[in-house]
Amino acid sequence: MSRRRLTVLSFALLMSFSIALAQVQVEYWTHEDPNRTALEEELIAQFHAEHPDIIVTRVTHPSNTLAQLILTAFAASRGPDIFNMETFNEYPYIVNQRVVPVDPVAAGFGSYDAFYAAYLDGMLDPVTVGGVPYGIPLELTNWAIFLNMNVFRDAGLDPLTDYPKTWEEMMEIADQLTVRDGEIITRRGFDFRYPYYLNFMVPMAQQLGGQLIGDDGESAIVGDEAWLRVLAYFREWGPHGRNLGGPTYANARALFNFDNDDIGMMESGQYQIARIANDNPGFLPGEGWMVVPFPVWEDAVEDLAGAYYGHYWMVNAQSSADEQEAAWKFIGYMTEFAEEFFARAGLLQASQAVLDSDTFRNHPYSDVFMADLARAPAIYYGDASPQIKQVLQDAVEAVMLQNREPAEVLVTMREGVERALRGEY
Amino acid sequence: MALQTQQIHGGGTRFRRTPLGVVANLLGWALLIVAVLLVLTPVAFMFVASFMPARDILKMPFSWWPDPIIFENFWHAIRGNDGRFIFPRALLNSVFVSGTIAATTVLFSTMAGYGLTKLRFRGAGIVFLFILSTLMIPFETVMIPLYVVITNLGMQNSYAGLIVPFLLSAFGVFLMRQSLLSFPDELLDAARIDGASEPGIFFRVVVPNLWPVMAVLAILTFESQWDNLIWPLLVVQSSELRTMPLYVVTFMEEKSTNEGAMVAVAAISSIPMLIIFFTLSQYFIRGANVFSAGKE
Amino acid sequence: MARNSARLTVGTRRALWGWAFVVPALAFFGLFAFYPIVNAFVLSLHRKNVLSLQPPRFVGFQNYVDLWNSAQFWNSWKATGIFTVSTAVPLVLVSLLLATLIVSRLRLQRFFQMALYTPAVIPGVVAAAIWLMLLDPRGIANQWVNFVLGVSGVDHKWLASPDMVRLSTVLVYFWGKLGFFTIIFIAGLGGIPTSVKEAARVDGATGAQLYRYITLPLLKPTTLLVSIMAMIFCMRTFSTQYLFTQSGAPREPINVVTLGIYTTAIRDYQIGLASAMSIVLLVVMFVLAFLQFRVSRTQDG
Repeated sequence: MSRRRLTVLSFALLMSFSIALAQVQVEYWTHEDPNRTALEEELIAQFHAEHPDIIVTRVTHPSNTLAQLILTAFAASRGPDIFNMETFNEYPYIVNQRVVPVDPVAAGFGSYDAFYAAYLDGMLDPVTVGGVPYGIPLELTNWAIFLNMNVFRDAGLDPLTDYPKTWEEMMEIADQLTVRDGEIITRRGFDFRYPYYLNFMVPMAQQLGGQLIGDDGESAIVGDEAWLRVLAYFREWGPHGRNLGGPTYANARALFNFDNDDIGMMESGQYQIARIANDNPGFLPGEGWMVVPFPVWEDAVEDLAGAYYGHYWMVNAQSSADEQEAAWKFIGYMTEFAEEFFARAGLLQASQAVLDSDTFRNHPYSDVFMADLARAPAIYYGDASPQIKQVLQDAVEAVMLQNREPAEVLVTMREGVERALRGEY
Repeated sequence: MALQTQQIHGGGTRFRRTPLGVVANLLGWALLIVAVLLVLTPVAFMFVASFMPARDILKMPFSWWPDPIIFENFWHAIRGNDGRFIFPRALLNSVFVSGTIAATTVLFSTMAGYGLTKLRFRGAGIVFLFILSTLMIPFETVMIPLYVVITNLGMQNSYAGLIVPFLLSAFGVFLMRQSLLSFPDELLDAARIDGASEPGIFFRVVVPNLWPVMAVLAILTFESQWDNLIWPLLVVQSSELRTMPLYVVTFMEEKSTNEGAMVAVAAISSIPMLIIFFTLSQYFIRGANVFSAGKE
Repeated sequence: MARNSARLTVGTRRALWGWAFVVPALAFFGLFAFYPIVNAFVLSLHRKNVLSLQPPRFVGFQNYVDLWNSAQFWNSWKATGIFTVSTAVPLVLVSLLLATLIVSRLRLQRFFQMALYTPAVIPGVVAAAIWLMLLDPRGIANQWVNFVLGVSGVDHKWLASPDMVRLSTVLVYFWGKLGFFTIIFIAGLGGIPTSVKEAARVDGATGAQLYRYITLPLLKPTTLLVSIMAMIFCMRTFSTQYLFTQSGAPREPINVVTLGIYTTAIRDYQIGLASAMSIVLLVVMFVLAFLQFRVSRTQDG
C-alpha cells in the first residue's frame, strides 16, 4: 500500500470521527466499457467504505452518445460532477470555463509540480490551458492494427511475415482477404474505425506531409497532394473503388472479438485485449490474433503512427465546493489503482509508474503499442474539434459513398474546417 | 358518434361485367396480396430473426425457418448489455409517460372543447382560433426553445420534463370541439334543471356520452407518444429515465449489442402496440376515420 | 366570491365556468407553444454557444443572413424537399389505389385494412432498426431485388450511395404511413353516397368512367386532407434520418432540416442559429399550408 494511500486512509478515519458527517453526493458519467465498469464499481464501494461521507453514483452511456448527453446536460446547467470524454470533445469545456482546474491536494498529489511529474511528458498538454491542468488522465490510447491470424491462414498468408507494413500493402492484402458474393462482402480484410477520422485519417495525411491546421492557426487542410492521396485512397477503398468496406458496414471492432470469419483486421487500442478476453476467452493472443504497427505510406515523409488521444476525468465548475473537493478526492483515489486499470481493462493512465510495472511489460503486445506511441502524433483538439471531425466525416462520405472527385471534395473540406475554426456555421 | 364497424361496399367501383373487368379484378387481388406481403415482410423478419443465433441473421440467403430456434436473444435483450435490466424499465417508462399524456390530453381537451361549445362566453371564438393556430406549429420548430423553458423550470432529466410539454394537444381540443358541436343540448339542459353543477354535468353527462371519441383520442395520443424520440433525446440523460425509443437508439450504439439482441429488443418493443392494435383495432380504424370526417 | 355568485345571472355564471374549463388549455398553449416561439425568435437574433455561460450576444438578423449564405442549410432544404415530394406523392397515390381496391372487394376488407395498418403501430425507431438490417448488403433487400431481377451478387448500396440512401429513407417512411392513409381513403370512399353512383350507372356509365367522373371528384376533400397531412408529416421526419446517419449512411443526402436543427444545437453548440432554423421551418410550413388551403378554395369556388 502506498504512503499516499495510507495518509488518505488515516485522514478518512479522522474524518469519520469528526462531528460534521454531512454526506456529499457526487455523480459520475462515463462511457460504456464492461471491464472498467466492474473495476470502478468495486473501487466506488471501497472508496465509500473509506469515505462514508461521500456517495459516488456512476452512470454509463454508449461512447457515441456520451458527448451529446453531457452537452445537453451542461447546456441546462445540470451537468454531472465528474465526467470523462475524448480530448477533442473535452477541450471546449475548458475554454468555456465549464470545468475547474485540478485540485492537487484533494486528489492526493500535493502540488501541481508533483502532479505533472507523475505523468508522461506532454500527456497533460491537451488539458493544460494557461499553465493550469483541468483533467486527470483516465486513459492514454493509440491505435494499432489487430489482425485475425485464422483469416490470414485461411487466405494462404502467414500472419507473422505477410502483415501489411504500408497503406499500399494494406489495400492489396485486404483485397486478398476479402470474400464476396458478387459485390456483396461477406468477409472484410480490414476496415477503418469510422467515424473517428481525427484518430486515423489525419495521421495518414501527416505521414505524407499534410497538416489539418496550418502553422498560422487559420489555414486548414494544408498540403493538397497529401490530402488528395488520402481522399483518393478512401474512394478506392469504398464501394465505388475496390469495394473493401465502408462506414455502412457493421463496426469492424465489434465483430473482431467473435472470430466469426467476417473481419480480418481492424484498428483499436490496448483496451481491446481485455475485451477480447471477455467476449471470447478461447480467442488467444499469438494463436488467434496478433497486433502489428500502424501502417505508413511507402513514400511517407514522416514516420508517424495513429494519433494518441486521452480520456480525462474532469470536474464540473457549477458543482459546489464540497462536491468538487469530493470529486477530486475520488478521482485521486482511482489514480492509485492505475495498475489494476491496466491489468483488468487495458487502460493506461499514462503515469510513469504503470509503464515501469511488470503488469505492463508482460502484457501482450505492449511493445508494439509502445513503439507506435513513440512515433504517434497527438490528436487534434481545439474549440471546434467536434465540428472539424464532422467535416472530415462528410468529406470521406463524399468520396467513398457519393463517388465525388477528391479535388472537388478537398475544396469544400478546407472551407468547412476553416469556417469551423472561425466559429461560423 | 356511436361506434360501428362498417363494411363498405360499392364505395369504389367493381369491374366485373366484361372480360377486361375480370382481368382487372384478378389483377386487383394480386396487387393487394403482393402489397400485404411486402408490407408484412419487415414485421415477419423481425419476429423470425429474434429466434435465430445472431450470426445467422445476416447470412445469405435468409432462412425463414430458424434452425436452431433459440431464446437467448430475448434474455440478452431484457438483461441489457450491462445486466441492469434497463429495458423493462424503459418500457414501463414509456407506458407511464405515454399513458399519462394520453389521460391528460383527453381530460383537458374534452374540458376545453366543452367550455368552448357549451358554455358560451365572450371571446370563445378567439380562444379557439388561438388554440387552432398552435395546431400548425410543428414540435420540431419549438423544441430548442422548449428545451430552454423546461430547463429553466428545472424539469430537465425528469419524468415531468418528459410529460409536461405534451399535457395537451391542439389536435385534441380541435377534435373534441368538433364532436361536442353535435352534442344534444337537451341532455345538458335536463341535467341543469335537476340542479347539477357544471363540473357535475361534465363528468356525469358529457364524459359518459363522449367516451368513444375520447378513446380514439387517447389511442392516437398514446401511439404518437410511444413513438417520440426527439424530445427524450434532448431532455433525458439518466439511463433510468430512458423511454423505449431512446433505449432502442442507445442499445443500437452499445458495443456488445449483436444483431440477435437488437431484433429481440425491436420485437419486444413492438409487441405492446401490436396487442393494443389487435384488440382495439376498431378504434384505430375509427381514429383514421376522424381525419376524413373532420373535414365535413 | 360565493356571495357574488348568487347574484350573477345564469349566463354570466356559465361564461365563468366556460373560462374555467378553458383556462388549463390556454395556460398550456401559452407557456408551451406561444412562449417558446417568441423565445425562439428572440434567441434567433442572438449568438449563443450552448456551452458558454456568457449571456447571449445580440446580432440582429445575422443568423438569418448566415443561413441564407450557408450551402449546408440550402442542402438541408433540398434534402427535405426531395424527401417530402418523393414520399408524399407516392403515398397519396398508392394509398388511394389500395383503398379503391379494398372497398371494391366484398371479402377480406377487414383483413386488408389491418394488415396494411400494422406497420403504423411499429415504433419509428424500431422500424428504422429493422430496416437497417433488411438493407444491409447481406440483407433481404438485396436478396429479393436480385431474385426479381434474375441476377446474383449485386449490391444495390441501399445505405451507401446517395440516391439509394434517399430511396431507403423514403421506403421506411412510406412503409410506416401507407396503412394510415389507406384507411383514411377507405373512410372517404365510404362517405360517398351510393345513390349518386347508381344514378350514373343507370345513365350507362362504365366502371372506369364512374370512378373518373364521380368517385374522384367527390373524394376531393379527403384527397386534399391526406395530401396536406402527408406533406406536413414528411417535412417533420427525423428519427429515420437520425438513425441512418448514426449507422454510417452519408449525411449530406438525408440531412433534413430537423436533423440540421438538432445537430446545429447539439453538436455545433449554436443555439441561436438553431433557433433561426426553427423559425424558418415554421414560416415555410405556414406558407405551404396556406397556399394549399388557398388552392383548394379557388378550385372549389
